[in-house]
Amino acid sequence: MSKKHTFRLVALLLVGATILGACGPAGPDTIKIGINAPLTGDIPKVGEGTKFAAEMWLADIEAAGGLEVGGKKYNVELVIEDNESKAESATKASTKLITQDEVLIIVGPQSSKQAVPAGGVANDNETPMVSPWSTNPNTTLDRPWVFRSCFLDPFQGPVAANFITEEFGFSKAAVLYDVASDYPKGLAEFFKAAWEDLHGAGSVAAFESFTTGDADFSSQLTNIINSGAEVIFTPQYYNEVALIVQQAHELGWDKPIVGSDSWGSAETVELCGADCYGLFFSTHYAAAGATGATKAFIDRYEAEHGYVPDDVGALTWDTMLIVQEAIQGCGEVSGELEKDRQCVRDALARIKDFDGITGKMTFTEEGDPIKCAVIVRISEAGEFEFYKSACP
Amino acid sequence: MGVESGAIPVKAGRMGSLVSKARAWYSGVPLLGWLLGVLVAVALEHILGRRVARALGMSKEPVLFGFVTMLRDPALLPSAVLYVLLIYLLPIAAVARLTAQLTNRLAATLLSLSSGVSSAVHLGLIYGALHLWSDLSDYRLLLVRLTLIAIMVTLSLNLVNGYMGEFSCSHPGFMALGAYTASVFTVILFVDDRVFGAPLLALPPLLGQFVFPIALILGGVVAALGALLVAVPSFRTRGDYLAIVSLAFMFIVKSLIENLEIVGGPRGLQGQPDWANLPTVFLWAVACIWIINNFVRSTLGKALNAVRDGEMAANAMTVDTRRTKMVAFLFAAFWAGVAGGLFAHVLRYVNPGTFDLKKLAEVLAMVYLGGLNSVMGSIVGAVGFNLLSEALRPLQIIKWMIIPVLLILVMIFRPTGLIAFREFDVQELIRPKGEPQQH
Repeated sequence: MSKKHTFRLVALLLVGATILGACGPAGPDTIKIGINAPLTGDIPKVGEGTKFAAEMWLADIEAAGGLEVGGKKYNVELVIEDNESKAESATKASTKLITQDEVLIIVGPQSSKQAVPAGGVANDNETPMVSPWSTNPNTTLDRPWVFRSCFLDPFQGPVAANFITEEFGFSKAAVLYDVASDYPKGLAEFFKAAWEDLHGAGSVAAFESFTTGDADFSSQLTNIINSGAEVIFTPQYYNEVALIVQQAHELGWDKPIVGSDSWGSAETVELCGADCYGLFFSTHYAAAGATGATKAFIDRYEAEHGYVPDDVGALTWDTMLIVQEAIQGCGEVSGELEKDRQCVRDALARIKDFDGITGKMTFTEEGDPIKCAVIVRISEAGEFEFYKSACP
Repeated sequence: MGVESGAIPVKAGRMGSLVSKARAWYSGVPLLGWLLGVLVAVALEHILGRRVARALGMSKEPVLFGFVTMLRDPALLPSAVLYVLLIYLLPIAAVARLTAQLTNRLAATLLSLSSGVSSAVHLGLIYGALHLWSDLSDYRLLLVRLTLIAIMVTLSLNLVNGYMGEFSCSHPGFMALGAYTASVFTVILFVDDRVFGAPLLALPPLLGQFVFPIALILGGVVAALGALLVAVPSFRTRGDYLAIVSLAFMFIVKSLIENLEIVGGPRGLQGQPDWANLPTVFLWAVACIWIINNFVRSTLGKALNAVRDGEMAANAMTVDTRRTKMVAFLFAAFWAGVAGGLFAHVLRYVNPGTFDLKKLAEVLAMVYLGGLNSVMGSIVGAVGFNLLSEALRPLQIIKWMIIPVLLILVMIFRPTGLIAFREFDVQELIRPKGEPQQH
């Protein structure tokens, strides 16, 4: 009896297989784009912004009936992988996207601690990758296949230093940063170097650090206040910014506090409140008072998701458009992955004066864009207002 | 163990008798037979996988037995199940059963030669299957290597938390020490690096494979030295105190590396040579399992259990408790260091942020899921946790609800883990089956 059962089962399976086989594979009419984003882990908001921006782009493509390359319309499929905000998971996700899902190009990861190892994977496997948000020089250094669409820390440090000097005319600055996190640490050092270039050695009156997770900054702030500094530069993330600014004010600090692009999250104002009004930071774009394509993007994002997109969303949007331009600039999609990847990479490297919502971009030899930074003022209404722009 | 069909409602009874029949049918298949089946299935996938997957409407062979495919696109669920059935389950079942007589005879012959030869043949089959399976995509390869490394880490932590009965939290720290030591060694000596400059010893790439063990052992030794630092002050106390001291040690290591600008600080160290390929990782994992298994079955291992169950009593029975604990702790740290070195060379990037509380929670979860005081448990725990966390990744945040719930369920129904307090007897595993079992 059991033998009969087995045969019946196998017969059934084979019939099923043939029926399903009729559906056919996806075929070469589809272009796959991988997204490697931190959907869970430490910074899920960043992952969410990435995903939303990418999906908005996809909706546009679908509304147009597909992505037109060389006169032919292709379907686009986004393969979104979660990297859990971990280096090893980012490596796994990128490897999976490249070798399992066989995507044409990868967008992400966002944070440098994931983008650096994932960039290695992309470069070794000769697959183009564009990180929208990673500012660490190592992400693209010596990696012809890896690009980014944001400016680098060595650029942003001098921008902040120049802005403070021109705006306030100060000559003594203090820096407060997280020594255990690569982004604040790198930027703090670049700022210090730029400041000392402008005002001579010793002009950084206090260079104070803390460790990720610290919530009490009173001892560092007391040191800063006693050092005679005229301004605090603190390249921290939104949760720490609120604590630092509030505690500084409680300790009697009434001079300016200046930040960097990591301030550019909607949460900053929400957590910090009136304490942050009137402060400046350097970033990729300003949401309030935006015009043209930038405004269109912000309005649409806000209508769909209920909040003003932060810089990750805007940079991802630009990245998706750059990727689109590169694929289109390639001329044709042959279906041979190796050839297409090479072609897209070359097209990426050729992009000139791409007009994105975060500024005009042209890639250097290293795959880094030359673009302007924006100084933003937090208005009395808690909005990020454009104040001025700083170009290289 | 069979279920009596009479007492149970008809349907359940039929199912039950089917299961017991299948079990009886397959009880005569030795491990060699199963491995042969797996090898055939994997080879089958190698040859036919792409075509079968295409015919079933999938663009590529589904990885992880179709789980990811199913979760991403539920419409492909029948195809994925069919694929697993056609490529894996049916061939394995058929080959294992049909060759049972042959493999039994073969297993008996091999065992009569020597158990070493027999083990080597089994390992060869396992390696062959892994090699063919991971040959299909780099993603599988990465997964296999990271899982093998996870087995090493889990096993070495089980030594402390299971066999010794202490609660140590410093394993990520030991891994970090091993990872950084091995990386610095290989990067300084053999890689043209931006931080350390030109390689001191320009070796042909082929020779690198032979130098790599030195780097790993060095990493293990440094980790063991770190363990000595924890052990000296903390082994005067027991229980919670060791947990606190070891946790502090983990943070000290992390901060130390973060503040060491020479190895990249929080930005991490990259550019490790690509030496941790599958054979290397496999050999080290096998060595780790074999040596730790022998260790826990030795007199020292038994002494370790005695210390766990009653330190005072063990002392009275002339067990040198202090030395026993020290040796076991350093030994565990050594393997964690080796695993860390391999980990760094698989990712070819290492940063201090990797070795934090999240890593600790992961390793602890693998140990307690698999089972305390058990080599097999550690293997099952590490493999299970890795595959599960990889398979459920498309679920994103829901994954982080499912895995903890599973852990809670395991803790309720099997408080010491899935396969706890069991000896890993290689002889028993590789012996031929089927004939009336003589013991």
